[in-house]
Amino acid sequence: MIRFLLRRTLSTILVLLVVTFVLYLLLNRALDFFWDLRASTAPNIEDLFASRERLLNLDSPVIVRYFQWLAGASGCLVGACDLGTAWYQGQEVVDQLPGAIMNTVKLVTAATIFSIVIGIFIGLVSAIRQYSGFDYFITFLSFLMYSLPVFWVAVLLKQYGAIEFNNFLADPVLGWPAIIGTSVLAGLIWMGALGGSRRRHLYSFLGATAVTFAVIYAVLAFGWLNSPSLGIIGVSLMGLAGAVVITYLSTGLANRKALWTSLTVAVIGIGLYMPLQNLFWYVEMSWLWMLLLLVVAVAIGMAVGLAFRGRDPWVSARTGALVAVVMAFFVFVDRVFQEWGNYNSHPAINNRPIATIGAATPNLTGNFWITNLDSFTHLLLPSIALILISIASYTRYTRGSMLEVMNQDYIRTARAKGLPERTVIMRHALRNALLPLASVVPVDIITMIGGAVITETIFGWSGMGKLFIDSMNRSEIDPIMAYIVITGLLAVVANLLADFLYAVLDPRIRVNA
Amino acid sequence: MAETQTAAAAQSKEPILSVRDLGVRFWVGDEWFTASRGLTYDLRPGEVLAIVGESGSGKSQSAMSLMGLVPRNGRASGSAKLGGKELIGMPEEQMQRVRGNDISVIFQEPMTALNPVYTAGYQISETLRVHNVMGPREAKEEALRLMRMVEIPDPEERYNSFPHQLSGGQRQRIMIAQALACRPRLLIADEPTTALDVTVQAEILKLMRDLREKVDAGIILITHDMGVVADMADRILVMKEGQVVEEGTATQIFSSPQHPYTRQLLAAVPHLGEGSGTAAFGSEAGALEVVEARPEIPLESDETYVHPGGEAGGRAGETPALRLAGACIEYPAVGRKKAFRAAHSVDLTIGAGEVVGLVGESGSGKTTIGRSAVGLIPVVEGSLTVDGFEVAGKRNRELRDVRKTVGFVFQDPGSSLNPRLPVGESIGEPMLLHQGLKGAELSRRVEELLDAVELPRSMRNRYPHEFSGGQRQRIGIARALALRPKLLIADEPTSALDVSVQAKVLELFGHLQEEYGFACLFISHDLAVVERVAGRIAVMRHGHLLEVGPSADLVADPRHPYTQRLLAAVPVPDPVEQRRRREARDSMIAATSEDLAG
Amino acid sequence: MSTAHDAAPGAAFSAGAGTTTGSEAVKGLSQGAIIRAKFLHHKGAMAGLIVLAAIAAFAFSAQGVGPIPGWWIHNHTSSGTVLNPGGAPTWSLSDPFSFGAHPFGQDEIGRDNFARVMKGVQISLMVMVIIGVVSLVIGTTIGALAGYYRGRLDSFLMRVTDGFIIVPTIVVGAILGKLIGGPGFSFFGLPLSAYLAPLLGVALGGVLWTSLARLVRGEFLALREREFVDSARVAGAGDFRIIVKHMLPNSMGVIIVNTTLLMSQAIVLETALSFLGFGIRSPQISLGQLINEYQTAFATRPWLFWWAGLFIIVIALCVNFIGDGLRDAFDPRMKTIPSWRKMKRADRRVASGAGAEAAAAAGTETGAAADTARADDNDDKGARH
Repeated sequence: MIRFLLRRTLSTILVLLVVTFVLYLLLNRALDFFWDLRASTAPNIEDLFASRERLLNLDSPVIVRYFQWLAGASGCLVGACDLGTAWYQGQEVVDQLPGAIMNTVKLVTAATIFSIVIGIFIGLVSAIRQYSGFDYFITFLSFLMYSLPVFWVAVLLKQYGAIEFNNFLADPVLGWPAIIGTSVLAGLIWMGALGGSRRRHLYSFLGATAVTFAVIYAVLAFGWLNSPSLGIIGVSLMGLAGAVVITYLSTGLANRKALWTSLTVAVIGIGLYMPLQNLFWYVEMSWLWMLLLLVVAVAIGMAVGLAFRGRDPWVSARTGALVAVVMAFFVFVDRVFQEWGNYNSHPAINNRPIATIGAATPNLTGNFWITNLDSFTHLLLPSIALILISIASYTRYTRGSMLEVMNQDYIRTARAKGLPERTVIMRHALRNALLPLASVVPVDIITMIGGAVITETIFGWSGMGKLFIDSMNRSEIDPIMAYIVITGLLAVVANLLADFLYAVLDPRIRVNA
Repeated sequence: MAETQTAAAAQSKEPILSVRDLGVRFWVGDEWFTASRGLTYDLRPGEVLAIVGESGSGKSQSAMSLMGLVPRNGRASGSAKLGGKELIGMPEEQMQRVRGNDISVIFQEPMTALNPVYTAGYQISETLRVHNVMGPREAKEEALRLMRMVEIPDPEERYNSFPHQLSGGQRQRIMIAQALACRPRLLIADEPTTALDVTVQAEILKLMRDLREKVDAGIILITHDMGVVADMADRILVMKEGQVVEEGTATQIFSSPQHPYTRQLLAAVPHLGEGSGTAAFGSEAGALEVVEARPEIPLESDETYVHPGGEAGGRAGETPALRLAGACIEYPAVGRKKAFRAAHSVDLTIGAGEVVGLVGESGSGKTTIGRSAVGLIPVVEGSLTVDGFEVAGKRNRELRDVRKTVGFVFQDPGSSLNPRLPVGESIGEPMLLHQGLKGAELSRRVEELLDAVELPRSMRNRYPHEFSGGQRQRIGIARALALRPKLLIADEPTSALDVSVQAKVLELFGHLQEEYGFACLFISHDLAVVERVAGRIAVMRHGHLLEVGPSADLVADPRHPYTQRLLAAVPVPDPVEQRRRREARDSMIAATSEDLAG
Repeated sequence: MSTAHDAAPGAAFSAGAGTTTGSEAVKGLSQGAIIRAKFLHHKGAMAGLIVLAAIAAFAFSAQGVGPIPGWWIHNHTSSGTVLNPGGAPTWSLSDPFSFGAHPFGQDEIGRDNFARVMKGVQISLMVMVIIGVVSLVIGTTIGALAGYYRGRLDSFLMRVTDGFIIVPTIVVGAILGKLIGGPGFSFFGLPLSAYLAPLLGVALGGVLWTSLARLVRGEFLALREREFVDSARVAGAGDFRIIVKHMLPNSMGVIIVNTTLLMSQAIVLETALSFLGFGIRSPQISLGQLINEYQTAFATRPWLFWWAGLFIIVIALCVNFIGDGLRDAFDPRMKTIPSWRKMKRADRRVASGAGAEAAAAAGTETGAAADTARADDNDDKGARH
């Protein structure tokens, strides 16, 4: 196995080398290194041209320049990185990169995780409800998302997701037709997703419509949008509901021990709410703290699960841990939202919280929570743009894969064993359906990085993509090469990860390789 | 007669399952397609009811409808009561408690019927834990007990094996253990041995027979194999096109079939020993002693034993159609996969106009030999000549001449015809490529060939998917005969076909062989079929040729212990004879395993 | 009869007619005809096809092709007087039957947006088709060779494919786009406008073929194991004949479907590059270039932005639906699973006696109505979803 991975990695890196060579030659032809001098009327124009030639070493053949660049780049392996200079700005590429990489990773990671999770979930439901109205709706929607040009969506998001939405936040009033329309739409979607007999259809429609209506009404009536927070009541309600849903999905409600575990964990979480607020108040938080608290939460969840004993305590422990993570997330979100008022009224924000440009508000100072809230408001729109374009492929892929797996003999066997449909789908079908997804994810991450080029440009997100585009426009070859190498390496890593995942998930591969 | 007694005892008990007027329909296109209807029967505990019929007779679907497992576009009607509870139309939640608990199934193909990503043991425990209040440890213990019951070697180790790590027989044992986990009252065995080799089939059948006494469940055995039926069944339902045409006890059906379809079906089944007119090995328990009197060949021996008169026959004075001399055949290495030697120094000669059967179980290398004769797989050592031409060491282009003299009939007629070409074009392709025939002449020859295989000429413009399996195989034969080859290689030509179709295709094959006078290497796993068509039989195991001899000699008096086992494992479609054979076989295996132990 | 068999659930019925040889003349459709029929019944695909054809016809006739003039009075370069304030569209929902002189509005210097959008559609469609054709040729050739010959050639070709995959297409596209539109590049001395669009299509086609190549390779690897390939070789066919005559027709499904889906990707890629300024650039027009040009005017002249975007989406959506329809048509496993409602309706028809003939045709002779009625009751109780 390890030999196989090693071979693959080596061969891909070799390919990457060839790619950099070819692209270097192409770039050399494509870029105009004198673009800024062409319109110049300076009297010493010839000197300028000459000095540019010297600066970029254009006398020596392109192949020589490539190998000079390569020599510098391979210095990175021994810690003496020289990726060249962005000549127009006079900046070392090595200095430009770290910030850009960080920003892109931030953007792409969040978007990838969200689109995988949401995409798989929607695809799964769509497959189970094959040929239903819901399925057709999702199919149409995913085709629509496939077809959306990301730059167009991004411009629209800027207009409606930020500018208009900020206006709305300043005076949150929604007309009745909008409220009722949204409620009915939500009702229809839930009805389609839940399926079942005609009576169940009706109940889910009425229930979902009523709940949506109540939520929208409450949000507007109590001015929640101006001071959003969950509060202990919100955290409690959502925590308990989350506990029930997680138990249903992971073990089924028939497993009483697991249900008791998750409810207990939720109650413990609620109990810890106030003490945590004190902790957050007195101690300056950091991500390290967050991680620590998360570990504690998981430990508590597992401990509760094991304490309930029962026939299979580890299943309960797993459920408990999941619930604990969800509770921790709610508490975190609640705490972040508590800062909304301070954030919104900060002079740097000036009551226009959703940002359209950049990765952070300049001149904004604040504690851990405020800076996080600030990155969140900046991440929101570009992430939505990226998620919108990549979610469709996961949805379609999961759906297709699920439908194929559901026709397999072993699904019939699982049913013939008397397993409940939930177990058949979650344990036997989904597990197998996700296997091929492991080979899609790396390709999709590369697509996502490509998509990020456009998104970053439009949202002024100073990441790798923007660096690439700006460098292209300034004819700076070195940063472009750095971009290519880094995305290429990322692709190598993604592929490696996919192979590894595949081997872990599929026992057939483990043995053969 | 122990079996009639059990059957009689079973008759006296209350039926556990009573089916009345059961029917299954499918919504296809825009109309209802009836898969089966009017099924009525009772099943008592400990009784084995065989539902027999050819593919498409609706036997499987009607059994699946008992568990509510018909496909989405299907529906069941009528009534089926399990211990007084109505199964048809039972709500899903209740049905889940019945499945796996009161009724369980053994599926045909254990490779695809077990989930590839979970261990064998887990899948048994899972069944236990859905229906019983049981912790993981208890479930594991119970699963191990079940695995021991179905005689899986090293159950502790096998518990953690994934399905792909087990052999076909072991997988089917896991399937059986899983089916028996919750002590079901009704066990549906859907073609339980069809995917298995004949020796493994014999073991699984033995296991099932042993178990039926232990578990006291009613068993519905769905199969197309009359030999299996004769081995297992107490009562038999014969189905044709969705309806029961005849019903009766096993002895009744086999000894005095009433319905013409049943008679036709039984007549179509090749019966071991029938072709050579002698009693097959293993039918008499006494045969064993004769074997022991002669110098014994050890079971593991890879030497070829040649019966007297087992050398090449056929028309004298002509070049042998096929001659292998010390031929080793290897699947070449692809990528990181190493080369695999599928045949080890094989010596075999087929005279002109002679039909030789090549028999072996899966992985024995029999197909490899057939394929290497047309240069699809390279011969790496020794020599392989076809009508005098050396094939070994030749490149693809140099093999054109050889291919003129060899015809090849493939196993799966569905896959061996290009689905995008009209069959006429497929048949004509060899003539177009080798003889450069075109237009009217080609068309005339294609029509001649269609006549020869008894297909209407008008069918030449149709596409393969429009034909039935038997018709496709006729087309495959027509194509193989297009160049009037000296040698025909038939690779399991009938194993994908129903018995009655198989009988017709074999009959056609016999006529053609007489008419065209080609030599033939007839490859099959089915000894009874081979015995019917071949003058000599060769037996292979693990790439070694073990025994060659005239058909009658080899079937009646096999010398290699493996051949003996193979012959003894073949079930014959006659309950009385089959019981005798079974007993003889059991004692033989007991004897040899004692030898091995000693 | 034969179609009923083909659509029958599982293999159980496939050999239903297998016991009779020859006598039962099976009247059936060729595979192509079945695929065509399935495709024509796919509502989404047909809608997509019709809309796409309409858009293409509209765009090419409105602005004309080459020297042939179109029927629309304005062209995409001439500016005119700004009619409505700000150049707002003369066509509105309040009076949908009066198009006016500038139905899609005008830009700040009075150019007609309808003319520009139609010209953009022309160029974008052309680039899309060129990308499709180029990818089809490269992808199929590479995939077929790799899958057929396997071994070293396969490894080499797949490494080449990897090389194209590890860098995002938009990046390679941007570099190639910059190259062919840059000062250092001239194409037989032609002016930029003459070669930019077709050449961009060729360049992007040279980047987008990878997924097709991988799929064709996979298909060929699978087909190689099929017996008809061995059968053809035994019949004396050479490599070329086997690839062209036997394997390619059998991978047509994969090729056609994925080329179609690739074209929907292609139009989005072209517009994105043009938006970034590396594809079609001013004064040339494409839909992406229009959006790029007008994105800053979004707040003041939204129509300039909306129309171009709308056409990109509609074209890509149509192509996607066509691809989906093709996929369903080519996929032999695709069975039309009927809705329960439809089955119920048929039941009622049978039960009411009006459909007695249909029931008899389906093989149910007597007591069909009673039988069906009972099944209906059962299903009401235990319908599985």
